[in-house]
Amino acid sequence: MVFSSLIFLFEYLAFTLLVYYIVPRKGRNIFLFFVNLLFYGWGEPVMVFLMLFSIVINYIGGYFVEKCKPDKKKAKIPLVLTVIADIGILAFFKYSAMIIDTINLLPFFNLPTFSLALPIGISFYTFQTMSYVIDVYRDDAPVSRSLIDFGTYVALFPQLIAGPIVRYKDVAFQLRHRRENILQFNRGVKLFMVGLGKKVLIANQMGAMWDAMQATAGHNGVLGNWIGIAGYTMQIYFDFSGYSDMACGLGNMFGFQFLKNFNYPYISKSVTEFWRRWHISLSTWFREYVYIPLGGNRCKIPRQIFNLLVVWFCTGLWHGASYNFILWGLYYGLILIIEKFVLHKFLEKLPRILRHIYTIVIFMLGWVIFYFEDMGKMGNFFISLFNFSDGIIGAEALVVASRYFLILLIAIAACTPLGATVYNKLREKKYIWIAETLFCIIVLVISVAAMVTQSYNPFLYFRF
Amino acid sequence: MNKKLMLLPSLVFLCFIFILSALFIITPKKDYSSSEKRYLADFPEANISTVTDGSFEDGFEEYLDDHFPFRNMWIGINAYCNYFIGNNGNDGVYKCSDGYLINQPISTQNRVNTNVETLKKFSKTTGIPTTFMLAPSTGYIMSDKLPTVHNEYIDDSVLDSVRSSLKGSKIGFVDLRGSFKEAAANGCRLYYHTDHHWTTRGAYTAYTELCNFLGTEPKSETAYEKESYKNFYGTTYSTSGFWFTPPDEIELWINRKNTEKKIDVTITEGDKKTEYHSMFFRNHLEEDDKYPVFIDGNHSVETIVNRNVKDGKVLVLKDSFCHSMTPFLADSFNTVTLVDMRYYKNSVSKLVKEGGYDQILVVYGIDNFATDTDLVWLK
Repeated sequence: MVFSSLIFLFEYLAFTLLVYYIVPRKGRNIFLFFVNLLFYGWGEPVMVFLMLFSIVINYIGGYFVEKCKPDKKKAKIPLVLTVIADIGILAFFKYSAMIIDTINLLPFFNLPTFSLALPIGISFYTFQTMSYVIDVYRDDAPVSRSLIDFGTYVALFPQLIAGPIVRYKDVAFQLRHRRENILQFNRGVKLFMVGLGKKVLIANQMGAMWDAMQATAGHNGVLGNWIGIAGYTMQIYFDFSGYSDMACGLGNMFGFQFLKNFNYPYISKSVTEFWRRWHISLSTWFREYVYIPLGGNRCKIPRQIFNLLVVWFCTGLWHGASYNFILWGLYYGLILIIEKFVLHKFLEKLPRILRHIYTIVIFMLGWVIFYFEDMGKMGNFFISLFNFSDGIIGAEALVVASRYFLILLIAIAACTPLGATVYNKLREKKYIWIAETLFCIIVLVISVAAMVTQSYNPFLYFRF
Repeated sequence: MNKKLMLLPSLVFLCFIFILSALFIITPKKDYSSSEKRYLADFPEANISTVTDGSFEDGFEEYLDDHFPFRNMWIGINAYCNYFIGNNGNDGVYKCSDGYLINQPISTQNRVNTNVETLKKFSKTTGIPTTFMLAPSTGYIMSDKLPTVHNEYIDDSVLDSVRSSLKGSKIGFVDLRGSFKEAAANGCRLYYHTDHHWTTRGAYTAYTELCNFLGTEPKSETAYEKESYKNFYGTTYSTSGFWFTPPDEIELWINRKNTEKKIDVTITEGDKKTEYHSMFFRNHLEEDDKYPVFIDGNHSVETIVNRNVKDGKVLVLKDSFCHSMTPFLADSFNTVTLVDMRYYKNSVSKLVKEGGYDQILVVYGIDNFATDTDLVWLK
């Protein structure tokens, strides 16, 4: 189930909210646990068992880590076993096809290929369960006494399928002691509206523009292709950050407070800054559980470079079982290394506008790598971004660009903190509730209209 | 600051999701959507196997989509929102001036050449004189109504290539561009506002062009009594979601001499044959989409015999554009048999031979012809 669907908003969420607030506090986690499974299992119920399996393994792992903890060395055994199990499950379900394909490239190998359905959200919840055992081992968080509480954390539907990756230590206390209140609920509703608007009104439209451009790839012209990839750049940000906003908003509605996942990444003045603002929960996870344990930056430069490359290789691979994601990760790893050791002093001297342009070009080109799984198509697209022999902009591309022009402008404006600044100035005003309420109504009405329309398909060649 | 009013967003949100959820559950469900011309989804069967393989869940979502409260209102809101944000044509239909709703042009990657080759091969097999006619697209003829920003209508390049590809073959090609442009410039309404078909006037114009091409005398316009019916909402209307577009009028041109005694209409669907005695099926005038008033809409084979006409036996391969032209054809040919390749799956050449036809006619709208995937089965 996704948040931007009729079934989620009008059956699932309505039901879940209603019952959640009827159930006495003691029963709320159990109720959440079961509706989480319903949310997750909707459409492919079998995968629920995989998630339950993962929950149980990590719960037991955490228990033994805690039990052995007086002797740190001994505690390492259950820790390592659990982490291996987690990575093993992830590798098996997500990467086995890719690994086999890679091995088969070698001479004399001919392993049977197979493809497994990727369980939704497995990358997210595996990282969450891993954070649990590691946090327990490091004494950063208490061990969970209740399997239901722990299961509720892992399967919590707001962040289950698209993040943010909530570390156990950030919610351990909330799991047992949260107190839902109406002000937090109201904040949650507003945040959810912002997220829904980002997803349905901007991301989907920008995605449609990018798809329309793809249909005429080859004669879009240089500008046409840049507008196309700008559309994809907008789509991916508003899709992802919209989803995170909805997740945080939903969390608020149920009394949880999650950390911010995006902080206006597209206004960054360097790639280093970009990654401090983009998908913060993932970068934090890699920093805490991979980069720092590897020695981080407290070691010699060659080792630091090695550490960075490992982290960025993994970050890329995490995004998907395809080589272009690894390439995308290493692309950022390399740029970050260059910025860190060479460029940063030079960048600081540049005028702001040039630093923005530099960053924007880097992340837009990055999205090209991210989008194209087919290396040939990727190469062609890169060439088309600079090949003026195709003209500036094709006739079809011009039509597409002008149809989505206004939304593209709105999207660009919405990438900046402009809206938030205005809102923060007005929020103490007496009548701000009118603006807020109107905003909610507009987003709800237009989003639902867009969702309903997806299902509307007149059948022209009817007969009885 | 009023604390309670600050909570209004939550109240709005909760009311919205609870009321619509409840309405979905309690409102009676329709079986059929007249604007989409399709049956809506039934509640899916729930048992262990459908739930575990996900088909129940998919079916339920479809059911929810199809029966969502105020469904058409939402579709309208979406259409107008897209329009006002500058995204005209989002659902494949441009909202044009003077209340015209016009389909977007066909893609340059189309099946025109494949389908023309099929026709050429077919004409060789039968050896019977064949005439081919394509209705130009609305957007091409009514280009002055289109929005400033629109994709190009490629009728010129398509029709030119059809014409040159048919050169040297036995198929005669009736190019309607000249006469249609001229008639449109004279203020004739050749196309509907809310439907993708040509009007009865458009069909008559095409019919006279066809007669000129074949060297026969078309039935004069004065032979027809015209009846006009209001409140016609056609296909581009229902696709677009622009519900505030004013309805169209549909004209029936009736030759009073073609009485029930003189006209036999036989509709064949599979093994089932049904007889009628009029080419106008007035029961469809009660519906929003009144176009099936002509020969009852799409059928796989339909034969019209007009005993007021002595001779002439024509077999027509057609799409729905031919429907409104059929009453005119019936005034020039004793027997008109319409074959719709989307539904007729047997050998047409056998039909031609057994029926003793002396003419073959191919009539399509250019959009359909460019996307048709059934004509290739012609044999």
